[in-house]
Amino acid sequence: MKMPNVLLIILSATFLVFAGCTKKQDSNERVLNLVSPAEIKGFDPIQADDLYSGREISKIYEGLLQYHWLKMPYELVPNLAAALPVISKDGITYTFKLRSGVKFQDDAAFAGGKGREVEANDFVYSIKRLADSRNQATGWWVLDGKLKGLNEWREKNSKLPATNYDEEVEGVKALDKYTLQFKLAKAFPQFLYALAMPFTYAVSKEVVAKYGKEFINHPIGTGPYILPIFDQGKKITYTKNPTFREKLYPSDASPEFKNLLSDAGKRLPLVEKIVVHVMKETQPAWLKLNKGEIDYYSVPKDNFATAIKNNKLSDELAKKGFILEIAPQLDVTYTAFNFENKLFHNKKLRQAMYLAYDEPKANELFYNNTAFPAQSIIAPGIAGVDKNYVNPFKGPKLTEAKKLLAEAGYPDGKGLPELKYDIPDSTVSRQMGEYFQKQMEQIGVKIKIISSPWPEFQAKVKKKAVEVYGLAWGADYPDAENFLQLFYGPNKSPGANGSNYDNPQFNKEFEAATQMQDSPERTARYEKLNKFLAEEVVALFGVHRQAYILEQGWLKNYHPTDLHHDAVQYLNIDTQKKAELLKNF
Amino acid sequence: MSAEIKPSKSLLHNALIKIVSEKLSLIALIIVFLYFLVAMLTAMGVLASNWGQEIGQSYAAPSFEAIKNYFGLDIFGRSVLLKTIKATETAVVIGVVVSMISIVIGTLLGMLAGYFGGFVDELIVWFYTTFASIPGVMLLVAIAFILGKGTTTVFLSLGLTSWLGLCRIVRAEVMKHKEREYIQAANAIGATHTRKLFNHILPNISHLLIINFTQTFDSAVKAEVVLSFLGLGVVGRPSWGTMIDDSKLELARGVWWQLAAATFAMFLIVLAFNILGDALRDALDPKLKGK
Repeated sequence: MKMPNVLLIILSATFLVFAGCTKKQDSNERVLNLVSPAEIKGFDPIQADDLYSGREISKIYEGLLQYHWLKMPYELVPNLAAALPVISKDGITYTFKLRSGVKFQDDAAFAGGKGREVEANDFVYSIKRLADSRNQATGWWVLDGKLKGLNEWREKNSKLPATNYDEEVEGVKALDKYTLQFKLAKAFPQFLYALAMPFTYAVSKEVVAKYGKEFINHPIGTGPYILPIFDQGKKITYTKNPTFREKLYPSDASPEFKNLLSDAGKRLPLVEKIVVHVMKETQPAWLKLNKGEIDYYSVPKDNFATAIKNNKLSDELAKKGFILEIAPQLDVTYTAFNFENKLFHNKKLRQAMYLAYDEPKANELFYNNTAFPAQSIIAPGIAGVDKNYVNPFKGPKLTEAKKLLAEAGYPDGKGLPELKYDIPDSTVSRQMGEYFQKQMEQIGVKIKIISSPWPEFQAKVKKKAVEVYGLAWGADYPDAENFLQLFYGPNKSPGANGSNYDNPQFNKEFEAATQMQDSPERTARYEKLNKFLAEEVVALFGVHRQAYILEQGWLKNYHPTDLHHDAVQYLNIDTQKKAELLKNF
Repeated sequence: MSAEIKPSKSLLHNALIKIVSEKLSLIALIIVFLYFLVAMLTAMGVLASNWGQEIGQSYAAPSFEAIKNYFGLDIFGRSVLLKTIKATETAVVIGVVVSMISIVIGTLLGMLAGYFGGFVDELIVWFYTTFASIPGVMLLVAIAFILGKGTTTVFLSLGLTSWLGLCRIVRAEVMKHKEREYIQAANAIGATHTRKLFNHILPNISHLLIINFTQTFDSAVKAEVVLSFLGLGVVGRPSWGTMIDDSKLELARGVWWQLAAATFAMFLIVLAFNILGDALRDALDPKLKGK
């Protein structure tokens, strides 16, 4: 059959275009394919108060300290610092020597477009930037009241027409090009953890000045990967930073990680490119994992029954070479109240709501019974949790709940206004919202569900524009203080205390405990505070989750972790094995 | 030769006779009637008032043990049959309210533009042309974001975006009618604009509104499903959209019954309305009379 030439050309061109669109990744190229289950707010370290943004930011920026990749319990080791700091006897002065020769990534903001060397002053600037009230940093809580003179500097500058970054602050000083000194306002043993968090990562003054408000989309750090511009797309592609310093894969490991030492001594990062797919819905991501297009992903709740049997992988998945990793997470899910609303000052109302909530059933419906029930806020595995403690207000105890609700002044919910329950806008969150609504209905508490995209949801919490909302908190560092501070008065929104709970007695005891060095006495105080929050029912504590992660057989060096935001630099792909295993897909 | 003069039947009466006499359109009419009846009964609490009740295991498969179990159970062990019935109320209410909003706006603006012409016409035409240039789904999403989520938002967002077609038709029709003899006669006896518009012209174009109602109802039901699927629709009460949204996860477990029930319920009413719409157009369009 003859075909007109023009038609033939059009058809060929269409074919070529489609062939281009569906181009497969070269299996010899070492590319990590990951999933972010939420949209990324942006790449400004001082605003990285959610796990998902923190993980992305840590691909590009770095801080003074980091967690050792292969040590458990978590151990802090130097990153941009040359060594761990020298700490004065009174625990007030921390002196760091910086690694020399560390360079910012190349960018037009620097002279000649070449990134300059990182100096102690960059950290001074970054810390002040976190403190600058004009930036409304969501991470300010981490240093609020911690460094000598920093709060005063913040206060003073908020009243000036422009922030004066040149004014010296006693709490954070560059003694010379490579020496950085922190002076604490009072002893705060968790301070070093703060220096491993994204909020305190080093940013460059020139880049902030050049991009201004657009800085959030122009990440230029010292880290292993570069991202020239962040366009809020559904796919974020990072490439290896060509000027990254010589950083090596660790050669020592805890016994459980000895099997992850095959790349010991190799220069990091190990893969050339990372593609992060922003996928809010679990099913497309699961399908991608099953096609070999994603390197690891947690098993979605609805695929659990078919994928995992008796904590082992199904035969079908095992044949494809998948590896199942199960690890308890340092987190807690909870339903928070906004205490700015006087309604929630009624303790009996909160207790009644908690008593009505059937958490074991929720565990079955949403976590396939793999999560551990939470009695209070601190996650197990961290000092401060009494293993035998059971929260007396944990439901389901409907009769007691109804009785308490009547005592609270709302018999059968009469007189109580409809409560707005905010959730992020995914299907599972909606189902959880419906479940909560149903549970509360049993005692006559009416709930209206309001769903918003994740960044908008967070913004509402920060603006105190919520009543009741569901959330999870993952540890930033392995210390109970990080959980208890969620209810510390001075941390109110926009700080981490999104509940805006402010109890002078709790605040006082919290301050006293957090200034102590790690000791049995401090643990006892943490336990006491934890129980206090539990019985006050400052939130409806849900569960501590367990991660069930499926890892492709070709992925090397991976282990589930809560605190290593910078994990990607250690991961590797066995390209030969990948090519072999892909034949089974 | 003398003959008895019978009063002539109204257009609607004629249309009804025509629809009833055709088998397919009669079935469609009965289906629509049944949906409205179900919606009314659920709204009154006679039917499916206990849809939220847990009656068995989460995700229990369809069984013939009891009527409630015919379509299986959902994540919370609620009857999918009762949910589907309750969702009928949501769909019908949305269909009716949205059609009403759209008919009121479309008719009013169309009549004003067509009747007065000149500046009024230009202004209204400019307005709906601008409105029409905004992509529908985007506008829906934008309105839903501004107003927050919920049933009222769905009413308003769908109602405010679906009047354009009707406005255009009514405008053209009124332009035609205002030159007709009966309007000239009304002019001659000094009838007011309001009287001419609402007492004379409106009844003569009412068939357009009826046909438009069936079309808008149809698209409102479908749009609600899309909005709910995108997480922008009805929250806190069953809707076919949220049922389908749930199903995208449940299918991984082999739970197909919620998807099947919601899709079938929607398919049936949309099909019935389409057939009815066609039949109404055939019956009401004077040009097709006698064909």
